[in-house]
Amino acid sequence: MSFLRLCASASRHVVSSPAAVDSLFIGCFRTTSGAVKDREPLRKAKTPQGRFDVPEETSKDVLQKFPDDVNPATKEKGGPRGPEPTRYGDWERKGRCVDF
Amino acid sequence: MATVRAASRLLSKRVLSRAKAVPAAAVQGSRNFHFSIYGKKKSAKVSDDISTQYPVVDHEFDAVVVGAGGAGLRAAFGLSEAGFNTACVTKLFPTRSHTVAAQGGINAALGNMEEDDWRWHFYDTVKGSDWLGDQDAIHYMTEQAPAAVVELENFGMPFSRTEDGKIYQRAFGGQSLKYGKGGQAHRCCCVADRTGHSLLHTLYGRSLRYDTSYFVEYFALDLLMDDGVCKGVIALCMEDGSIHRIRAQNTIIATGGYGRTYFSCTSAHTSTGDGTAMVTRAGLPCQDLEFVQFHPTGIYGAGCLITEGCRGEGGILINSEGERFMERYAPNAKDLASRDVVSRSMTIEIREGRGVGPEKDHVHLQLHHLPPQQLASRLPGISETAMIFAGVDVTKEPIPVLPTVHYNMGGIPTNYKGQVIDHTNGKDKVVPGLYACGEAASASVHGANRLGANSLLDLVVFGRACALTITDLHKPGEKLTPLKPSAGEESVANLDKLRFANGSLRTSEIRLNMQKTMQNHAAVFRTGSVLKEGCDKMDDVYQSMENIKTFDRGIVWNTDLVESLELQNLLLNAVQTINAAEQRKESRGAHAREDFKDRVDEYDYSKPLEGQQKKTFDQHWRKHTLSYVDPKTGKVALKYRPVIDSSLNEQDCAHVPPAIRSY
Repeated sequence: MSFLRLCASASRHVVSSPAAVDSLFIGCFRTTSGAVKDREPLRKAKTPQGRFDVPEETSKDVLQKFPDDVNPATKEKGGPRGPEPTRYGDWERKGRCVDF
Repeated sequence: MATVRAASRLLSKRVLSRAKAVPAAAVQGSRNFHFSIYGKKKSAKVSDDISTQYPVVDHEFDAVVVGAGGAGLRAAFGLSEAGFNTACVTKLFPTRSHTVAAQGGINAALGNMEEDDWRWHFYDTVKGSDWLGDQDAIHYMTEQAPAAVVELENFGMPFSRTEDGKIYQRAFGGQSLKYGKGGQAHRCCCVADRTGHSLLHTLYGRSLRYDTSYFVEYFALDLLMDDGVCKGVIALCMEDGSIHRIRAQNTIIATGGYGRTYFSCTSAHTSTGDGTAMVTRAGLPCQDLEFVQFHPTGIYGAGCLITEGCRGEGGILINSEGERFMERYAPNAKDLASRDVVSRSMTIEIREGRGVGPEKDHVHLQLHHLPPQQLASRLPGISETAMIFAGVDVTKEPIPVLPTVHYNMGGIPTNYKGQVIDHTNGKDKVVPGLYACGEAASASVHGANRLGANSLLDLVVFGRACALTITDLHKPGEKLTPLKPSAGEESVANLDKLRFANGSLRTSEIRLNMQKTMQNHAAVFRTGSVLKEGCDKMDDVYQSMENIKTFDRGIVWNTDLVESLELQNLLLNAVQTINAAEQRKESRGAHAREDFKDRVDEYDYSKPLEGQQKKTFDQHWRKHTLSYVDPKTGKVALKYRPVIDSSLNEQDCAHVPPAIRSY
């Protein structure tokens, strides 16, 4: 039990140190280049450990899947997502016509 | 003692587990892997009969299928299932064939949503074809449709379902009940948003169960014809540049359409009409090539179609002057006029110089006057589509559109069994050893106009039909008739000439000339003078092939060479299309002419038939066009063949007498 607590405390220390290292690096960059860099932080600034801490806004697909894949209006299971593709007389998906 | 018993228990367990680990397939007997790394069959022999420069390998099979799309795969494994030693020659990997882009559904009169009968589907298809479809082939297709869809479903294709678990069918493609009098029919079965993709993958997966030999990325050059009998194909292996002569008793062509003859088409870059060109070079005719299906609003450059719903929701078509030009052509319906009226109006605007863009060759579809929320809720995904394919923000800029080719109704003439026919002395004569199915063929189920969701049905039904016909007429392991050792010489000579071509025009330039000419002259707007001018220009483009320049002199994966071969094939299709369109002096289905606006049948079906004089075969146009080309000169010769008006069984399903087509 105590061993676990020790591990936990150690990992906490490990987690906090990269942030410090980070700022150290950024500080170094600013001083060596001479100019003040107004750029966004480096792409790899978030280490793999840190990346999943903030859940990313997952881009929503325009055509949502129906709950249980069953279209509530027509009771079709496994059918096309989104509004009825044949509603304009041709087969439409995402504004593209694929058959007519 | 206990240890011995424990050991024996352990041993028996291990033996049992090993026994369980033996796969069921191995119990049938040892089987080689489906693919092999160095060459295909052990019976392949290298010969230098036709060329000392190119290594030529001879193969012998019972049947060879050219093309591995929906129709090709169905035919190939249908034959393998029946025990034939089948080869499938394809220039693309099977799952990359253009069938994968067919996202609409597949029609079948299953009767899951309401009472349905395949005879009503038969009537709808005959009417849709504007009475140019062969009614025996349409009878065959619509009667087999429910069985074909159930078969696909048994292969594992995941159709969408109703609550009861039956296949869900929706209303699409001009289908009606009770011979057009019973309202809308629900016949279209689909798999989510991707029926064609699913169909192709299902068929490919199924075909791997059988012993078909796939020759993937082999470009079929020509048919091996001997005295009017087809004895196989000759193909170029793109991977290593070797030539392969694949001799077979039966050859099936399923190479797809030739959309790439036009500047704007929805087809892949690989839709180059290779099969139809091979048949033309063999001296056989192609049927009804002038019937090409257009859609008015295809994105300029990309070729994707924009749905008519855009115009339904309030989108308008604009010319270079910012004018809503549809008001002049269709004062009442305006932008909601029928597709052919819209296509023709757009083409006339472009011809008269009011097109937009640097080359003034397209028009604009404006949607930014509509409220963005309405656009997003009624047409979800359209902003994404417009950004990806046209690079425009649909809420700020208009989308560039022009009439786009979508499908080729014409192709290699076949009977309802899939056998290729030639028309001599007023009779249809079967070409022995040659079959065709899919978009490349014209068993003429689509006639002058294809109905939506019928083409996927066409693929599977006629692919299976070819396989069944061959199974009926031949046996596996039949001895092949001898072939001249020099068969295929001209194909290799042509290949060599193209490989070392050193003229002045690049392949891409000649191809663009052809595409622009076809788009300007043989597209939606067809009149005598425009078509005649187009025929002369196409003749010039054809002659300019003499001046072609290729750059890659290698033989391994020479895409310059393959594109030039494809260009030769495209040109053969293009000259036939435009010449056939110029000769057909009527408007029928997808072939609409400004100077001959009416259909010319043997009787005038808009009036009662009594008292009318029946026109002779030469005077009316309800007939199939058969076009022949002399590949050296590019001259097109046209013949005509009557439409088959009787169904396969008049008692079971009476034929539909011609009438005026109105929806």
